[in-house]
Amino acid sequence: MTRADPAVTLRGVTRVFGRGSAAVRAVDEVTLEFPRAGWTAVMGPSGSGKSTLLHCAAGLEGVDAGQVLIGDTDLTAAREHELTALRRTRIGFVFQSFNLIGSLTAAQNVALPLRLAGRRPRTPEVRETLAAVGLADRARHKPRELSGGQQQRVAIARAMVTRPEVLFADEPTGALDSSAARVVLDLMRRMADAGQSIVMVTHDPLAAAQADAVVFLRDGRVVDRLAGGSAREVADRLAGWEAAR
Amino acid sequence: MMGMSRAGLAERWPLFAGAFVSVTLGVALVQSSLLLLISAATMDPPAGLSAAAGMEFSDNIAAVVSMLGIVLGIATFLAGFVISSTFAFTVAQRRRDLALLRLVGGSRGQLRRLLLGEALLLGGLGAAAGVPAGLGVMAAQEWLLRTLGFVPAGFHGQWREWILAVSFGAGIGLAVSGAAVAARRASRVRPLEALRDTGEAARVMTVARWIAALVFLGGALALVIIAPHGGVDGGAAMAMNVPLPAAIAAAALSPLIVPLVARLLPTGAGAAGLLARANLWDARRRSASIAAPVIVLIALIAGTAGAEATFTVSGIDQMRRQTHADFIVEAPGPIGARIAAVRGVATASTETSVPATIVTGHGEDQESDTATALVIDPPAYAKAHGTASALASLSGRSVAAGPGGGVPSSGSVRLKLPDTALVELPVAGGVPPTMSGGANLLLPPGIVSPALLADAPTQSFVSLAPGANADSVRSQLSRIGKVSDVDTWLRADASSRNSTSNKIMLVIMGLGGLYALIGVINSIVIGAAARRREFAEARVTGLTRTQVIRSALLESSAVTVAGLVLGGLAAAGAVIAAVASTSAVTGRPALSLPWPLIAAACAVALLVTAATSLITSWSATRRPPVTLLAARE
Repeated sequence: MTRADPAVTLRGVTRVFGRGSAAVRAVDEVTLEFPRAGWTAVMGPSGSGKSTLLHCAAGLEGVDAGQVLIGDTDLTAAREHELTALRRTRIGFVFQSFNLIGSLTAAQNVALPLRLAGRRPRTPEVRETLAAVGLADRARHKPRELSGGQQQRVAIARAMVTRPEVLFADEPTGALDSSAARVVLDLMRRMADAGQSIVMVTHDPLAAAQADAVVFLRDGRVVDRLAGGSAREVADRLAGWEAAR
Repeated sequence: MMGMSRAGLAERWPLFAGAFVSVTLGVALVQSSLLLLISAATMDPPAGLSAAAGMEFSDNIAAVVSMLGIVLGIATFLAGFVISSTFAFTVAQRRRDLALLRLVGGSRGQLRRLLLGEALLLGGLGAAAGVPAGLGVMAAQEWLLRTLGFVPAGFHGQWREWILAVSFGAGIGLAVSGAAVAARRASRVRPLEALRDTGEAARVMTVARWIAALVFLGGALALVIIAPHGGVDGGAAMAMNVPLPAAIAAAALSPLIVPLVARLLPTGAGAAGLLARANLWDARRRSASIAAPVIVLIALIAGTAGAEATFTVSGIDQMRRQTHADFIVEAPGPIGARIAAVRGVATASTETSVPATIVTGHGEDQESDTATALVIDPPAYAKAHGTASALASLSGRSVAAGPGGGVPSSGSVRLKLPDTALVELPVAGGVPPTMSGGANLLLPPGIVSPALLADAPTQSFVSLAPGANADSVRSQLSRIGKVSDVDTWLRADASSRNSTSNKIMLVIMGLGGLYALIGVINSIVIGAAARRREFAEARVTGLTRTQVIRSALLESSAVTVAGLVLGGLAAAGAVIAAVASTSAVTGRPALSLPWPLIAAACAVALLVTAATSLITSWSATRRPPVTLLAARE
């Protein structure tokens, strides 16, 4: 595979919630490519279908029509155990609520995906991953003993420990104050620069401006794109689409 | 994965403690009931008893064995019910954690293995604690049996080596099978559910639950419908068994019905009431788990005791209608001639009770059953009990089937009396079985040796001659034995029957009821353990700690009342079956409900849920809400 191959490909993806007159097309025939070794932000007014798009792209949500590819693996045709294997090895997730397991220490949380994959996690491997998010000294702390920003960085370390092809992030800074958000975004920027493919949903123009490109969604459709825009430009674009409703 | 299991154990201890307690006490109850049953069944009569006393001893033991059989049945039912529902609840409470594991790459098989491994561990640990606890339970049950006079003073439950296998097998088996269904369901949880609290998690009425509900409801209805056609013993057995399937059906339907019933209850205006009503609807799974043991508790106690009381009162009614006499004289030995000689006595049916053994089958298949035989004067008996035609041909060496049932009314019966060899006697008819039972066989005089009759318990039903002076007859009779008029005798008989049936209920339900109550406590504790965050959210929204606790109290009380109502419905099935049976057997429906017992059971259930809810919600709100909300796991 070369850098030109997209990390994630969506072809005519449609996801409908509800039936009959109550049916909502949360994602409506979206065709989109997320580039390899690039960081793409997905933005849109609330209810635009951006979270559903992310869930579909990551194989967490089934699609009603269309095709989703990670590399050249077709998620829409994958069986449950294939999706499980995919989540273990090729996909990482980060969420707004950090979703760490409260009873496990930071190091145990990070090692968990390796254990689930049937591997015996080596201590250096886990320590390095935690060091990469700047938390080498917090390995033995439980989530409740960490700040929100630290918890999110543990969650990123957990997602990255299997060296996934794509990291999906759903509002990763949504629950953080601006300085903690800054630390998390800088970390993601360094990861993208090192060749990590990242797909991130956000409503924060500051976060989106860190990405390489921004895709705007409205009513389940892609309505606009912006590459290398500043926070100001992103905010203006978003405000325009919100006003156009 | 085991490390994860251990860490989970430390964090979610109330969940696991609840599951552990349910296994420990369930195993203890089953083990003790089984050991007592085996000990009673293999008990030898003490040396030096006369033949008659020996037979009476075996008759009593047979009664104790059948009672302990019911105790064991109920203990096993309760253990299965409480353990499996507790394990299922602990799994349901961790749905979010499990979805999270799926999200980071856990496979369905891994989740299932994790949950089953946990059940195996907890089942094993619970059984290990249950074995010694069972010895304590056995001491309590022995004490109850001895105090109530069901077993002789020297009776002790004996330890058997193989009980270890049974106890561990039961503990682990029930825990694993209880967790298995829940684990299968939990392993199908979609990873996305880690991010939401709704979706599949909100669907509690699963297909399996519907099937269980309908199958057991059908079973309960079938028992209610067939019971009136089952005769005296069959009808009673079926009616008494209605509460078990009815309670399971009600518990299976409870996620649907409990919130509905509970919402009808006044929870008061104000924020606490509003929150309680909302939670009742929103947390259907939790409400159902708390209601389930309440349903079983009330269904068993009210249903079994109500059916039992109905049969007892019907038996007394029937006896009152069938007894035609003015006085009853009770004394040991042959008093017939002396009573007949009293001036003013028109007729007297003197009936002497002797123990007997009825033998059926031959050779290897030979079986003997203890029975009661009544030596009677056929014409006088027919007159005193209104069974004229049935006994007409009873004379010489032929016998008749008695009101206690168990003997065919034609053919022959092989009978062994304490001091004679086995004899085969023709059966020349019989009286219809009555609700209150009595002797299995009626014997004409002449079959039983005078020695055996010498001090056997005897009752004589005396009718006065027209114009006789009742007082004078009574005073003459009182020189022969204890004299009562019919009403007094019936009342004394009724109260002794009632007290026996109450004692039986106490033995059967006593510890089982306590265990079901512990199941209720368990569910509340497990439910509250997962609610710290919810309580904290309510408090930062502006509710005071008192309001949060009051709301939790209102909620659990409403759920308990709904459980009582559903349990009452299940119990009503048993009582309806009992009323229909009494009507079919005696021609008149009877109904009696032990209100004090039912009221006490309801009050205890309400008090226990209220107290547990107060303590758990007080403890869950001890820390300031901010500390809980600041760090989301």
